[in-house]
Amino acid sequence: MAEPMVKLEGIRKRFGKLEVLKGVDIEIAKGEVICILGPSGSGKSTLLRCVNLLEPPEEGEIFVEGNDICRGPGSGAGEQSWKLDFVRQRVGIVFQQFNLFPHKTALENVTLAQERALGRPKQEARAKATELLERVGLGDRLNQYPETLSGGQQQRVAIARALAMDPHVMLFDEVTSALDPELVKEVLDVMRELAEEGMTMMVVTHEIGFAREVADRVIFMDGGVIVEEGPPAEVLENPREERTRQFLGLVLDR
Amino acid sequence: MSQFFNQYFNFNVMGEHFGEVLVGFLQNLLVFAVAAALALTWGLVLALLRQLPGKKPMPIRFVTIAYIDFFRAVPILIIILMISGGVPFLSFLPESVRIPRWFGRPDTFWYGVTALVIVYGAFTAEVYRAGIEAVPRGQMEAARSLGMSHFQAMRHVVVPQGVTKIPAPMLNELISLLKDTTLISVIALSESVLVSREVLSERLNSSALTLTAIFFVIIILPLARVVDKLIARQQLKITRGSHIEVA
Amino acid sequence: MSKIRFTALFAVFLVALTALVVAGCGGGSSSTSEESSASGGGGGEKLTVGSDIPYPPFEQGKPGNYTGFDVELMEAIGEKIGREVEFQDTSFETIFRDVGQGKFEAVASAATITPEREKEVAFSDPYYLSEQAILVKEGSEIKGLAELEGKTVGAQQGTTGLELGKEKANAGELRPYPEGPDAINALKAGTIEAVIIDAPVAQNAIEEEGGVEIAEKVPTEEEYGIAVAKDSTELLKEINQGLKEVISDGTYTTIFEKWFHLKPPKQFQG
Repeated sequence: MAEPMVKLEGIRKRFGKLEVLKGVDIEIAKGEVICILGPSGSGKSTLLRCVNLLEPPEEGEIFVEGNDICRGPGSGAGEQSWKLDFVRQRVGIVFQQFNLFPHKTALENVTLAQERALGRPKQEARAKATELLERVGLGDRLNQYPETLSGGQQQRVAIARALAMDPHVMLFDEVTSALDPELVKEVLDVMRELAEEGMTMMVVTHEIGFAREVADRVIFMDGGVIVEEGPPAEVLENPREERTRQFLGLVLDR
Repeated sequence: MSQFFNQYFNFNVMGEHFGEVLVGFLQNLLVFAVAAALALTWGLVLALLRQLPGKKPMPIRFVTIAYIDFFRAVPILIIILMISGGVPFLSFLPESVRIPRWFGRPDTFWYGVTALVIVYGAFTAEVYRAGIEAVPRGQMEAARSLGMSHFQAMRHVVVPQGVTKIPAPMLNELISLLKDTTLISVIALSESVLVSREVLSERLNSSALTLTAIFFVIIILPLARVVDKLIARQQLKITRGSHIEVA
Repeated sequence: MSKIRFTALFAVFLVALTALVVAGCGGGSSSTSEESSASGGGGGEKLTVGSDIPYPPFEQGKPGNYTGFDVELMEAIGEKIGREVEFQDTSFETIFRDVGQGKFEAVASAATITPEREKEVAFSDPYYLSEQAILVKEGSEIKGLAELEGKTVGAQQGTTGLELGKEKANAGELRPYPEGPDAINALKAGTIEAVIIDAPVAQNAIEEEGGVEIAEKVPTEEEYGIAVAKDSTELLKEINQGLKEVISDGTYTTIFEKWFHLKPPKQFQG
């Protein structure tokens, strides 16, 4: 069997006294799309942010493409710059709050990291940025500033921005939760296309419909542990665990 | 009552010494210009040093914070006197540093500028810090997640946004700095206050001091108004809500 | 706000309040400031004397322990006229205005009698003959007033030394220092190249501190006097009388020899 794209072993994470992740194991194969569901406080966002080392875990191992990117506390390995660079240029992330750079145009948002972090020449960066922005349907808004764009448009720019770094894995942290309902579809469409093109994706979301249609695997988390995982048909239609059932009941009732 | 006016508003005295006091005031402005430029730069350096992330730079952060705390607390007058009183005697320093006469300005000028830069570096560092900290954390996270180094993220994303929030408080610090240039009179730098005191002891009249005060007011009052306007504008922006705030 | 913060603020408030109360109650007793002190004399009513301290060897020392030629002379005069002399440290540049406004009753501060000053105050008979000196660092190339051209020169604010500097020395920069000793310190530090100051003060600096020498004495025929407010005619009479007596009975000579290690000029000998 091929090396999994992402492997998390025994991840534990604490914030002060509160233990948010209590031992999580996940393996994700190349091209797999997994959706993570769960109530707030379940640790799902934290888990995502561990994968690109925004929140280095206290205990556990994370492997990206077979490389151990954090050897746990004590070795300080999470801070070593080569590991950070390695991770962050292979793992892209899109945030719930978009976090676009307000002082840069859409185009500049997508070229900045290319030029600075990857050292790509200006022309190349611009070409790539233009292509990506067109792909997400924003080719006509290259020179506009984020504040003139709708939430959905901003989030699409954010996706393009992350894609510009040619990541091998894309993380999505509740990227539609802050959007007005009518703007959600355009973002999900982009994500769907991405999945169809074979991108490995970890998606934390509340969009059950999306999970049902696009995910290869659904993971339900609660209280810092994985409660249940499996193909969407199983987990979403016929959950085994009581907790899963409860959560879905609440969510689907909406 | 007429005594009061004679003592403080004697226009003859003001007229006769107008030129001297003006020249002195220009000296204040010169000290201000030099010290402000240096303090704004030094403050930014301090603010960035204070922000260095990670375990290894901890001693640097510690020293920087200690520096800022200390020099915000010590009265500038003390620093001026310590520098001018002690530095000339530090024989391990070359003479051109001990008794600086750079660019034709006397040693008292440079002692004064140094003291002001040391102290106002600390004050401006705090203003920068407030500006930097006002930039949402998500910006830094996004930049770092895209693979930019801490320094790159600071330079291209955080600091450019941070400095847009600081003009008002920074201008306040600069106004303070302009006024504090008068402290250098205590080590006999020929600026407006010193000149006015000489007039005082010669003519037994304080009108030159009044004149000096007027010069300062003329320059500073418009600046203070600008600060007020900037603050009002910031308030308006916040209440109109131009950010996307997610709980 | 959090409990800890509130407690801390409250504690600070209490301390401040206590301090205010204590200051209010205890403060009343001594209206004399830190800088003034009874120096002694003839007992009886206090005579407040303003002086710019330190200016050795004329006035120096700490509050409660002032000493110097001016101090001892005034105390001797005080004895003769039945007044208890109390010296107050004050800034020289406003000293004549201050005595005119009644801040103190007399000025004994190595003050030269000048026509300008006589517009504002009344002077006693002269009690000291003085001149200016150009003080330089030992081994300096400056030999006198003429060589001050273009140099950085210091003097004390409001003094005749500063005046001399303005009129006769073509200094590159003439720096007025708030206190005489500040100028001498700057000379020693090397930030200025010469000081124009009263000759006896210069001499004292050479003897007490060293490292400096007098390049030239500039005979300005200055006379020091004790200043009083223009309308204090009675007091002036008394002071002049006291001064005469101090001179005639030899007290002046004793004090003079103590501070200057010389016999006083003929006119001041008993």
